[in-house]
Amino acid sequence: MKKFALLLLCVTFMGMHIVNAQVKTISGTVTSSEDGSSIPGVSVVVKGTTIGTTTNIDGNYQMQVPDDAAVVVFSFVGMKAIEVPITGSTVNATLEPDYIGVEEVMVLGYASHRKSEMTGSSVQLSGDELADIPVASIDKALQGRVAGVEISSASGTPGSVANIRIRGVSSITAGNNPLYVVDGVPIVNEDISSSSASSSFSTLAAIDPNNIESITVLKDATATAAYGARGANGVIVITTKSGKKGKASINVSATYGISNDAIDGPKVLTAAQAEELFIEQIMNTFGVGTVEDAKKHYFYTTWNGGKYVKWNEDGRPEGNWAKVITNKNAPMKEFNVSATGGENAVSYYTSLSYLDQEATVIGSTYERISGALNLNVDLSKSFKFNTKNTVSYSKQDGLLENSAYFSSPRTIKYFMPATSLPYNEDGSIKLDNPGSLPNPLWIAQEDLNLSKYTRILSNNSITWDTPIDNLVFSTRATIDYHVYNYQQYQNPVSGDGDGATRGAAWHTFRNRANYVIQNRLDYELLLGEKHSFSMTALQEYQVNKLYYLSADGENFSDVGLTYLNSAGKPTGANSWFTDWHIASYLGMVHYSFDEARFVADFSYRREGSSRFAASKRWGNFWAVGAAWNLTREDFISNVDFINTLKLRTSYGVSGNANIDLNQFDPLLNYNSDYNGEGASYPGNFGNNDLSWETVNNLDVGIDFGFLNSRINGSFGYYYRETKDMLLEVPLSLTTGFDEQTRNIGRMMNKGFEAELSIDVIRSKDFNINIGGNLGTNKNEVLELAKDLNGDEVNITSTIDRVETGHPVYGWYMPTWAGVNPETGQEEWYIDINENEDKTTNFNSAKQVWQGGSAIPKITAGANIHVDFKGFFVDASAYFAGGHKVYEGWHRYTNSLGLYGSYVFQSMDVVLDRWKEPGDKARYGKSYFGTKPWQRHSKFLYDGDYLRLKDVTIGYNFQKSIVDKIGLAGLKVFVKGTNLLTWVKDDNLKYDPEVGTDGESGLETPAVRSYIMGINVKF
Amino acid sequence: MKILNKLSRLVLIFLMLVAINACTTDDLDPTLEQNKLVEVDIKSDNNVYAILKGALSRLTATGYYGRDYIINNEVRTDNCFSNGNSGRFSTQAALDYNANTGFFWDEAFRVIASVNLIIAQVPEDLEGDKDYIKHMQGQAYVIRALVHFDLLKQYGQMNAGGTLGVPYVSEFATTLNAAKVNITPARKPVDECVTLIMADLAKGFDMMDVKYDISKTFINKFAAKAIESNVALYFKMWDKAITAAEAVIGSGKYSIIAKDNFVKSFEESPVVPNSIFELAFNDTDTRGINGLAYIYRGTSYGDVQVIDEVANIFHVDDVRKGILGFEGVRLRNMGKYPDMLGIDNVFIIRYEEIILNYAEALLEKGEAAKALAQLNLIASNRGIPAYTTVTKDIILDERRKELMFEGKRFDDLMRTGSDIKKYSSQQNFKATIPYGDFRLAFPIPKAEMDANSNMVQNAGY
Repeated sequence: MKKFALLLLCVTFMGMHIVNAQVKTISGTVTSSEDGSSIPGVSVVVKGTTIGTTTNIDGNYQMQVPDDAAVVVFSFVGMKAIEVPITGSTVNATLEPDYIGVEEVMVLGYASHRKSEMTGSSVQLSGDELADIPVASIDKALQGRVAGVEISSASGTPGSVANIRIRGVSSITAGNNPLYVVDGVPIVNEDISSSSASSSFSTLAAIDPNNIESITVLKDATATAAYGARGANGVIVITTKSGKKGKASINVSATYGISNDAIDGPKVLTAAQAEELFIEQIMNTFGVGTVEDAKKHYFYTTWNGGKYVKWNEDGRPEGNWAKVITNKNAPMKEFNVSATGGENAVSYYTSLSYLDQEATVIGSTYERISGALNLNVDLSKSFKFNTKNTVSYSKQDGLLENSAYFSSPRTIKYFMPATSLPYNEDGSIKLDNPGSLPNPLWIAQEDLNLSKYTRILSNNSITWDTPIDNLVFSTRATIDYHVYNYQQYQNPVSGDGDGATRGAAWHTFRNRANYVIQNRLDYELLLGEKHSFSMTALQEYQVNKLYYLSADGENFSDVGLTYLNSAGKPTGANSWFTDWHIASYLGMVHYSFDEARFVADFSYRREGSSRFAASKRWGNFWAVGAAWNLTREDFISNVDFINTLKLRTSYGVSGNANIDLNQFDPLLNYNSDYNGEGASYPGNFGNNDLSWETVNNLDVGIDFGFLNSRINGSFGYYYRETKDMLLEVPLSLTTGFDEQTRNIGRMMNKGFEAELSIDVIRSKDFNINIGGNLGTNKNEVLELAKDLNGDEVNITSTIDRVETGHPVYGWYMPTWAGVNPETGQEEWYIDINENEDKTTNFNSAKQVWQGGSAIPKITAGANIHVDFKGFFVDASAYFAGGHKVYEGWHRYTNSLGLYGSYVFQSMDVVLDRWKEPGDKARYGKSYFGTKPWQRHSKFLYDGDYLRLKDVTIGYNFQKSIVDKIGLAGLKVFVKGTNLLTWVKDDNLKYDPEVGTDGESGLETPAVRSYIMGINVKF
Repeated sequence: MKILNKLSRLVLIFLMLVAINACTTDDLDPTLEQNKLVEVDIKSDNNVYAILKGALSRLTATGYYGRDYIINNEVRTDNCFSNGNSGRFSTQAALDYNANTGFFWDEAFRVIASVNLIIAQVPEDLEGDKDYIKHMQGQAYVIRALVHFDLLKQYGQMNAGGTLGVPYVSEFATTLNAAKVNITPARKPVDECVTLIMADLAKGFDMMDVKYDISKTFINKFAAKAIESNVALYFKMWDKAITAAEAVIGSGKYSIIAKDNFVKSFEESPVVPNSIFELAFNDTDTRGINGLAYIYRGTSYGDVQVIDEVANIFHVDDVRKGILGFEGVRLRNMGKYPDMLGIDNVFIIRYEEIILNYAEALLEKGEAAKALAQLNLIASNRGIPAYTTVTKDIILDERRKELMFEGKRFDDLMRTGSDIKKYSSQQNFKATIPYGDFRLAFPIPKAEMDANSNMVQNAGY
């Protein structure tokens, strides 16, 4: 902007000098070829001179030119420049948009390249695309936007984490979360929640999406190898907004909305259905012939208090717990004010925002206040200072949703018998229902699962334009400071804290300091006309310190006292400290031949990590990449309809070290006590050879743009092989240890990725764009550890297994053979791989691979954008498929025994049960009793689902209107999210979006929101 | 020249900044604030004492004596059943388990690893009282024997028609000695396990010195003999059972709890005279919902309920009846482990058990009169009429009443070759489980089978 202004100034001065010469006056109007509208600000210059002017607000110009002037050149950013001969005193021009000229610059964290110079397959999204999506953390908004990126959120609780898998699962032990890089610096992104039972809490949610300029997802080796040890799972590069010089521009936005569960979830039995089932169980089990006799039976009348006798006496009341625990039309609101501007040597961006969101379940809320201040200061001609600072405070009242905790309202929805009632006759909360489940209304009112989190992120750099041409030195210091505290409180009257405990409280405090210091040298070199090099040498040192403190106590004399000050009896105190360090040296060379006809990238990183033994601490990571822009070749550049055509490939090695700390030495642990005295015990087996896990990453692809860049896209293939895999190899438990972390085994991921965007209609007032992306993934374990006898050491649970030849954690369980129509017994195949023999004894049914895993084989996204004279409609959808989901909790919630009819509750799907010989039913004969966990393929469902992620309808007020009311811009919109969900398997009644283990749980499902927003620019 | 000058300044500044930030392999050493190194940081008697306490703490795990071991030995008998209130112990009570449940296999071997680390120390190389270190090593041998005995009782095949016992692990293994130690051991035959257990008990007894016997919450010299009498009784080595019991009785350190103090003796209390070895539980263990009290009573869990018929087996004047009580219609263990926060100590062996061991072994050796006298020591302290005759069944019934809910009943049924009788519809299993049934040995956990190809699974799983 500054240069442009300077240019204008020059042009104006020049014009003044020429007044004295022999002159004539010309004038005219410049319009757009798209819609014929006038274009202000177009540069109008007499060819071969510096004489010129710019068009005014109506697209008109007038200037004096020398008599001999023959041609005028019209140019404007984003338009093709044209030359028009002077044939009279009126010279008009029509400009065509130049779609190729505005080339996107991809931000890769350590480097930035023009898109044509990319040798890899990174995808960049602008912050504006994502800002209006009503989620606290930006990662959730990425779902369906990038090919090969699978995003699932186990919970829809506001502020909870999303699980991101870029190009599949490459590690078993060292984690599969991508690295997050904010403004060039790796940060720690985690679920900071102190309680594994309570809702997750995303540290990324501290970064207000409104402050984000762009997000780049790095997938291939050339982009990720620069991040060395932590690049193996891909990198998400977030760039926050910087100041833009000029008059202050102020942006105010406000959003209001409501949310409900996107999925109703399974339905439960009515009290009458449960009674019917209970009577049937007595008849089936004790040989009772009639319902009347069953009602006289001891187990109906007396056993465990004769629940149904009392229920009938009370007039058969019905407790609708699904309704009780639902926070219908949960409100959300968000306000954001930001300003940017600057003059002379300083530019700034600043913002303040507030978000308040309630969960769709009672007793859970999320709130965030965040502010940002980013400054660019030119200290002198050659020194520049940049600082980006974000501070945020967020608060989440969560719920114990990560298991079937009785105090979680989500558990109550599926576990509380309908014979229990939420309210007493006088309208007060009923606390004396039979059984072990507390009333969630009381819990929501009294208990706490409160997280409070402050994050301070300060990123400061000084750049020195050294006296040596094109050599720039910069140094950067970053601190990322987290302060987190958590309060869990269980009231003394009813619930987890009742009885002898008399109320319990647990408070934790956690602070994490993450420092990164970087020194870098950048050098640009042009050899001859055509060889352009940009080289970077970078040194980075990162320290991470984590401190934890907690205390707990019991016995509160009254309700409503939640702090430990009121606890009659302290029960525990704990604190600990851990740290890790990473040192790295990075060299990068980017080479471009003949204006990117050929491009090559080289990077090498040497990195040392404190997680490994001294002799194994350092690792080497590298990558090479090449691209060939065919459009720069004569045989293609002549083809009109091809605008971009680039072949690219890259190969490299990145690493992963994200294992538990200090695993290499055999350690003594001291977090033990006996008889009130401190004690110690051997804590881990150790492994002095522990070192890096590496991922070898091959990427080939083609990028294209056709028909005046109306059609843009890419197609690619990737192959990733993990070697020296960090694996918690199970040890014989006779050693006293469960496992040893070792570098052993291999795993691969491969697949195709495609992205496509089509401008169906492209004009000033009317545009239609449709786009889509698709990624496939095939995962296979290639090699695992072997024990002393040469047998493969598998990692097996009751439902999945890590085994060579199959996807990691492939589903592995006994195969259900249906319900025997004659006997009503559930049956399983003894070994379906051998024959079709069946058994009614679950224990003799062999676990077999069920074909597939929890990892989707295909993920895809689709979107459409339409705008017409300021009105716009956006919609996007997400698909994941080819994977399977296991229904957790079915022992209780799909029980034909007492769990379903008496102790807890059951889904109404169990009504499809066997009653008499000949019945074909999905569930067997009911019985009076309980069964142990029997996990088998009946409860394994196809996970394929398609979700209409969001639909937005809005209006950007026309400039003429906005001007009249004295604004710079005005936008209003309404948006719906997760409006429709299609699930392939009818038996999958829960939200199909589950956690990475592929097991459905009792978390808050994804939410369906309707929001309206207004955005005003001053 | 000017350029060179600039260049040298530049290089200097750059090098300076890099140097400040540079780091070597040593700079990357992590801070160990909560841990120490196994191979260098065991330096004194006090360090060994800490590991010993760690081993005892591991015995108190919920999966072991903290709850599950005791409960599994009650719900699989004629004493208790699981009402399924919270879904706990119904599998075990129905003997419907499979190899996916590990039971206490891992907890037990963790204790063994801890005590093997103590045994691996060379007292002469450590600072402090060498005799005390040897005493603690003696305790370690006894604990090793006790835990292997527990494993053998639950996983050994002797009650399920087989001969295999359990692996006998006698060396502490880490990455440092993994090449020299067999870390995938096979199961030894039952009789070999018994021999090794008895040898460890003898060695432990010899290494301990009574002057260090300060607390019943630690293994002491006569606890070794008490455990020996239990092992001998279990494997029908009557003479050894007698001599071991006589050693305990002869020590004069213990006495039978008096009638009026019986119920009280299970409450959180200072030392009681009948305790030989007990595990310490206190506030800081915060056992709470995962403790014995929570599973025996209350409505939150309270899964383990007493079979209704049990109320009728006690003599009207028997003080032990005071352990029982009702919560609504549910018959409960109200008296043992009474504190709902789980802070009551757990008896592993008490003197009454030794007296009954002694009586039973004497009877087996044909000394009925002496056996009757021992039996009546119990009867007279429990408010019931003295027995005039003695039979094996009378002794076993007396044991059942005396040790009810303390996790001994299943062992008594097994060692006497008894069926587990289905006599109440409340019991979770469907029909009487005959002695020799495969379910009377736990399955070897799947995790062990997967990681150790030398391991052999029990029949039926």
